[in-house]
Amino acid sequence: MKKAITLITVFQLFFFCLLAQSPLPSVDKSPMDMSYYPDKYPVLKIQNKITEPLAGRIVYSRPQKAGRVIFGGLVKYGEVWRFGANEATEIEFYKNVHIGGKKLNKGRHTIYALVNENSWTIIINKETDTWGSFKYDSKKDVLRTTVPVQKMDTIVESLAMVFEKSTTGCNLIIAWDNVKVSVPFTF
Amino acid sequence: MRIFILLLLGSFFSFSCNQKKEKNNNSKSIVVNGDTILKIKPEKTINTYEPVDVSPMDMSYFPADYPKLKMDQPTMNPPIARVVYSRPHLQGRKIFHDVLKYGEPWRLGANESTELDFYRDVTIQNKKIKAGRYILYAIPEQDKWTIVLNSNIDSWGLHPDPSKDIARFIVSPTKISSSIEYFTMIFQQTTTGADLLIVWDNIEVKLPIVF
Repeated sequence: MKKAITLITVFQLFFFCLLAQSPLPSVDKSPMDMSYYPDKYPVLKIQNKITEPLAGRIVYSRPQKAGRVIFGGLVKYGEVWRFGANEATEIEFYKNVHIGGKKLNKGRHTIYALVNENSWTIIINKETDTWGSFKYDSKKDVLRTTVPVQKMDTIVESLAMVFEKSTTGCNLIIAWDNVKVSVPFTF
Repeated sequence: MRIFILLLLGSFFSFSCNQKKEKNNNSKSIVVNGDTILKIKPEKTINTYEPVDVSPMDMSYFPADYPKLKMDQPTMNPPIARVVYSRPHLQGRKIFHDVLKYGEPWRLGANESTELDFYRDVTIQNKKIKAGRYILYAIPEQDKWTIVLNSNIDSWGLHPDPSKDIARFIVSPTKISSSIEYFTMIFQQTTTGADLLIVWDNIEVKLPIVF
């Protein structure tokens, strides 16, 4: 009997260990990604091919269209959209920049969009390290700027964000479904 | 003996119940039980703006799930640490030596260098580490891993530059019984701070952070 009890204890300990093992995080359905300005800066850096200093970067998660109508459907017009998925989208500048004539200090910020059919209001907010836009607080806005919506002939399946060079700095291009938006930063 | 069998059955039942609960918790995601291969539909046309990475990026905070906690408690203290890394997956390979070789530096991820932010000063193996941003890489060996904190931030993971090393830490790898498909990093609370847990395939490594 003693032997049996010992066996049972060992057995239960074994199962307890299995259960107690903290679950490791699964892979996100909307994977995270990162874009820099200058574009591909990290690759250029290790290849010694940098021609202009690091200016900005965006860290965002990439939901998929998955057959849905995105703008005006999944993302309601007139509502603040989280501009990604999961953790709030983070935009970081390594120097002070201007957006829509307003100054934005260097550092980390969150970015959201108030989406309409023909224009988006881009919102830069100071509440970092947060989740989505569920507790978005306009009192913590740093600035807002409105940009026009461009309709595309092609469909972009996964939300994409990339910086491109402009004559006065860079544009953040946001593309998803059949919609494209360009947000100009000057520096 | 009868008691033994009953208890044995009891153990099995409690185990399977817990398993079910875990599955339900994860039901929002495609991934069941934490770690099967993700079924992201390949894009029909090439994403001309930015193709989706094969090894997706992810982010872990300490306290764990800080961004979600902050949603409910906007006034809570800043986080302690955050790691941003990309998650390669085994796809039938073994970590040693299909993917990694003993003694060769490894980027601890994929694509962009793995980034570790400390929001306050911390201590690792009696070395003071200032708040700020670092990159991480490792030199894995059979019985020890060297974890390196380096200052060459915003770089690509290949070819780490040892002249920019800030500190090196020797830690012991442990073998785990299961195989984890996707490379995983999380923080786990300890009595003196938190461990940065580094897990892939059947290997687990802990970097103890004191704060």
